[in-house]
Amino acid sequence: MNYNRPELLDRLAAEYVLGLLRHRARARFERLCAELPAALTARQRWEERLLPLSLALAPVAPDANRWPQIERAIAALNGASAAPRVAPRSGARRWWPVAAAAALVGAALLVGKLTYWSEPAWEPVAVLAPANAAPLWRLERSADGAQITIRTLGPITLNATKSYELWILPSAGGNPVSLGLMPRYGKLERRLTPAQRSLLAAARQIAVSVEPLGGSPTGVPTGPVVIVASVMRAT
Amino acid sequence: MATALDGNELDELLERCARRDAEALRALYARTAPQLLAILVRMLGTRTAAEDALQDVFIRIWQQAGQFARVKGRAMAWMVAIARNRAIDLQRAGRPSVLLEAAELAGAEQMRVEGPAEHAEFGAAHEALRRCLEILGTAQRQCLLLAYQRGLTHERIALSIGQPLGTVKSWVRRGLQSLRACMES
Repeated sequence: MNYNRPELLDRLAAEYVLGLLRHRARARFERLCAELPAALTARQRWEERLLPLSLALAPVAPDANRWPQIERAIAALNGASAAPRVAPRSGARRWWPVAAAAALVGAALLVGKLTYWSEPAWEPVAVLAPANAAPLWRLERSADGAQITIRTLGPITLNATKSYELWILPSAGGNPVSLGLMPRYGKLERRLTPAQRSLLAAARQIAVSVEPLGGSPTGVPTGPVVIVASVMRAT
Repeated sequence: MATALDGNELDELLERCARRDAEALRALYARTAPQLLAILVRMLGTRTAAEDALQDVFIRIWQQAGQFARVKGRAMAWMVAIARNRAIDLQRAGRPSVLLEAAELAGAEQMRVEGPAEHAEFGAAHEALRRCLEILGTAQRQCLLLAYQRGLTHERIALSIGQPLGTVKSWVRRGLQSLRACMES
C-alpha cells in the first residue's frame, strides 16, 4: 500500500479515529503512526475535527469512590515498577513502516519475518493462559536473563480492588517467589534481581495468583492461583 | 471547583503528570473525568463498565503522560483518544451489545450542544463541525455518528439501520470525504 498517497492515509486515519478499523488493521495503523509523521498528523487532524462530538455529550459525574480507587491503583503500579526502566529497543524498529505496508496488502509471511528480525534479543519464557481459556499474557526474557517483558494478549478483566501477581515456583521446592504484578494492558518491562534471575533460569513452572490490589501482603500467594504454566527451556 | 476545559491548563497538568506529580493527576481528573465518563458511558452502554474503563483511562494517562507532545489545546484530544481507544478495545473484546432501538437511533441523529462545548475555546470548532454534519445526507451523518459516538463497527451499523454492509461502507467513506472537504473550506 502506498502511503505517499495522502488521500489513502487520510482515509485510514479517519476510519481509525472513528473506530472502524478491525483489530489488526488498527494495530498496524498505530505502528504506522509511530513511524510515519504524516500518518500521525492525519490521525491527529481527525481527532481534532471530531473532538466536538465528544465534548458535546453531557458530562457524567463519576462515583465518589472512583478517585480513591485510581489513586490506590497508581500507588500499587508505582511500587510495582520501581525497578529502573529498561531502555526501549531501537534500531530494528525502523522496519515497521515496511512491515505495516506489506501487511496491509496481505503479505503476512513477510510481516512475520520482519517482526522476528526486529526483536532478536528476547526469548519466550511462557504463555500464560487460565485452564480452558485464551492466553492472557506472554512472558519473555532478555538474552542475558536480566529483564523480563510481560505482554498482554487480550483484555484483562479483574475486579478493580484486585491485582494479578506472577510467581516463580522454584524447582528445588520452597515458597513461590514473586516476580511482581501483571499489567492489565500493554506490556511491562522489569529488571530482575540476581536471585530472581537464577530462580527463573532453573524454574520449570510459574504461576499467577489473584491478590489484593497492590499485590500479596505476605510475600507468598494469598489468593487463588488462576494460572500455572510451564517455562520453556532455551534450546 | 473549576470545570472549564481550558486547553493550556490541561497541557500544563499533563506535563506535571509526566514529571510524576500526583496532585496534577488529581486536578486533571477533577477537570476531565465527567466528560471522559460521558464518552465511555455512550460507547460501553453501562455505567459500571464505563466507570471501570475510566479507571483504566486515568492509569493510562498517568503512565503515558511522558509521551504527550505539547501542542496548544491538544491535551483534551489526547485524553479523549485514550478513552475512546479503551472503549473500542473493550467492545472488540466481545462485550455483548444489543442492537440500537429506533428511538436511540433517532437520538444519535442529534448533535447535542449543551455542556462544556459551550466553552469558547471549543465553541468555534463545535459550530464548524455541526454546520458540516448538517450538509451531509441523513444516512451518511447517522453512520458517522453511530461509529464515533457509539463505537459501532460497519457491521453493527448495517444491522442497526437495516442496510447492506456495502452501502454502509460507501456512506461512511463518502461522508468522511465530504466532512473533510467542508471543514477545510
